[in-house]
Amino acid sequence: MILEIYRVIFINPWPYWAGGIIIGLLVPLLYYYYNTALGVSTGYGNLVKILLPAGKLKWIKEKYPDPWNWRVYFIAGIILGGFIASALSGNAGFTFDMGRFTTLVGWPAIAGAIYFFSGGLLLGLGARIAGGCTSGHSIHGIANLHISSILATIFFLVGGIIAANLVQAVLMGGIW
Amino acid sequence: MNKNLGFLGFGTLFGFVLSRTGASDYDLIMGMFIGYDYTLVGVIGTAIITGAVGMQVLKKFKHPIKSGEPLKINAKQLGRWSLLGAGIFGLGWGISGACPGTVLAQLGEGKIYGFFTFIGMIFGTYLYARLKEKHPSL
Repeated sequence: MILEIYRVIFINPWPYWAGGIIIGLLVPLLYYYYNTALGVSTGYGNLVKILLPAGKLKWIKEKYPDPWNWRVYFIAGIILGGFIASALSGNAGFTFDMGRFTTLVGWPAIAGAIYFFSGGLLLGLGARIAGGCTSGHSIHGIANLHISSILATIFFLVGGIIAANLVQAVLMGGIW
Repeated sequence: MNKNLGFLGFGTLFGFVLSRTGASDYDLIMGMFIGYDYTLVGVIGTAIITGAVGMQVLKKFKHPIKSGEPLKINAKQLGRWSLLGAGIFGLGWGISGACPGTVLAQLGEGKIYGFFTFIGMIFGTYLYARLKEKHPSL
């Protein structure tokens, strides 16, 4: 019985609604406890100020007076949560595995590293110009029926569909 | 409870759920965009509906915020370039198979390529700060 419960929570893939409900509940919970809007990408500015010599840049100076605020702890928590999930499912440890990218593209690791770095560069730049990411715009914003977030999410999806289909067509053996 | 510790806890829950539900899985993100697996559409859709219902319930509370402050929800304002930024973000999402939250879960899972997406995101944010020096309208 206990083994079965463990398996359902920590080993088997979750049904989509179980994850969706908990993620969705974070929106009202963060307001209730901390009067704070759910969002992740703004916290990358904290990391810029902590890790890079950027303190003189006006935007960083004005927007991040204290880079060691709750956003860094939220980021650390998400990393920890991913670690706990993979450790309890018996998959902890470093891996180059990235699903279809590693099985179908077959690039040397250095090329893969540059590829994912480029994707990250676009994510970081785009999130700041758009004013948010999947959590801040798509989940928090749409849950609060903000038109700006609905529009941003449409453009997130358009970009994602274009890029993923190009990757599929060019690197993964043709159109799906 | 201390706010920072609270966010460490909520972040841990968030990362755990993202990982368990497959949101940090490259193949599932690609599947959502290419159209061979709609699991994550279900996750995001359920999250939005739950969040929307939860906010309506919260607004019925006498004290929607524990401390007694009034509830004030700010919509993000769109600037001249915001939707272009959203498109750029989307390209990054489709290339890396990750977004700013799920890449952190990937880090915890030990995915080495996810580490490079993460470093790219920090430099992308830095690039924004540099561009904003010269172009304040960004």
